[in-house]
Amino acid sequence: MSDDREDRRSDAPADLGREREVLVRQFLRRGFEITESMLSENHTLRDELGRVRDENARLRSHLASDTAIRDLIRRIDALETERRELLLRSDALAESSRQSERRSSEIEAELHDLANLYIASSHLHSTLSLRRVVRHLAELLQQLVGAEGFAIYVSEGDGRSARPVYSENLSDVPAIEVGEGAIGVVMATGIARMADAPHPAGSLEAPVAIVPMLVKDSCVGAIAITSVFDQKEHWAEVDREFLRLLGSHAGTALIAATLYAERFPEGATPDPRIALAPMHDQLARQKESDASADKSGATDR
Amino acid sequence: MTDYSCLVVEDSPMMRQLLVFALARVRCIHVTEAEDGVDALRKLASQKFDLILTDINMPVMDGLKLVKRIRADAEHANTPIIIITTEGSTEDRQRAMALGANAYITKPIQAPQVIQKVKELLKLA
Repeated sequence: MSDDREDRRSDAPADLGREREVLVRQFLRRGFEITESMLSENHTLRDELGRVRDENARLRSHLASDTAIRDLIRRIDALETERRELLLRSDALAESSRQSERRSSEIEAELHDLANLYIASSHLHSTLSLRRVVRHLAELLQQLVGAEGFAIYVSEGDGRSARPVYSENLSDVPAIEVGEGAIGVVMATGIARMADAPHPAGSLEAPVAIVPMLVKDSCVGAIAITSVFDQKEHWAEVDREFLRLLGSHAGTALIAATLYAERFPEGATPDPRIALAPMHDQLARQKESDASADKSGATDR
Repeated sequence: MTDYSCLVVEDSPMMRQLLVFALARVRCIHVTEAEDGVDALRKLASQKFDLILTDINMPVMDGLKLVKRIRADAEHANTPIIIITTEGSTEDRQRAMALGANAYITKPIQAPQVIQKVKELLKLA
């Protein structure tokens, strides 16, 4: 009995020790396995984290790219609007420029016409020689109007007829009766006549233009144009202005030259200041005459 | 800006005045006037011009003779010449062009036409 007890006594610690050892080993193995599993899990999670980070970066980049595209589209829209506005402004400026060019051309043409009128007027009155006045008149008709065939008539003293004082490219230029024929009617009425177009050429019976030379509403002569140069296809507005100017200036220029020629007969070439010498006396006489007329008018009132 | 010199040869003072006025519309052009062909040759002897405008019908020496003399002179052989004809007839114009004129203008002259021709020949257009 006691041996059994001893056996049991001696066996028990040995079993416990083994069990403990087994248990410890199992515990350690389990701990090792758990650690390995945790390490593996940790590794997996690290990989996953890396992937998530990459994905996140990619998405962020994509998002940024979309925003940039949206910004660019907005910018393109704004630029497109600006471009349309600029095109509209450009069109407006181009139109304005075209208008300015047209206006500039019109002003140039008007300036040219005014220069012609000024030159015509100044040349007509630039001389007191009757021959030169007539020559200038003829030259003006040729050079500025483009007249090829024409005649210049001046009234006789009684005013009932007129004689040609100059003609160009016309073989026979007879005197005319005022009131008769196309030229005579213009001289009687003092109203100019111009054909709608300078071509075809006319004749002295039917000139393409007749301009009365008027001085203080009295017709002292006429210019009759029968033909113009081929290159002059139509009348310009300045032609009408120019002929009107000749009509109103030629008469006075001819009268001044005629009076001057009478005062200083052919051959004499006086200092023009001599011609003005009597002017002061004449002005004084006119002033006296005007004053006495005013005085008598006042008495009548 | 380059300055250009232009010789206007015309016996009529009125036409000269018209041409001078027209040329004054072109900037940087200095105009010298001559009364006829001989007067023009005198001026050409002492000065070189960039352009010559000449009438055809003139006393003393007409425009055709002047064009011929200018083209025979090596100094002015290449100077552009514009002739101004009174009539639209082609005869004088053809003769002048055959003698070496570069362009022509018919009377009555129009300033814009003169300006255009001058600019063309001076290459200002």
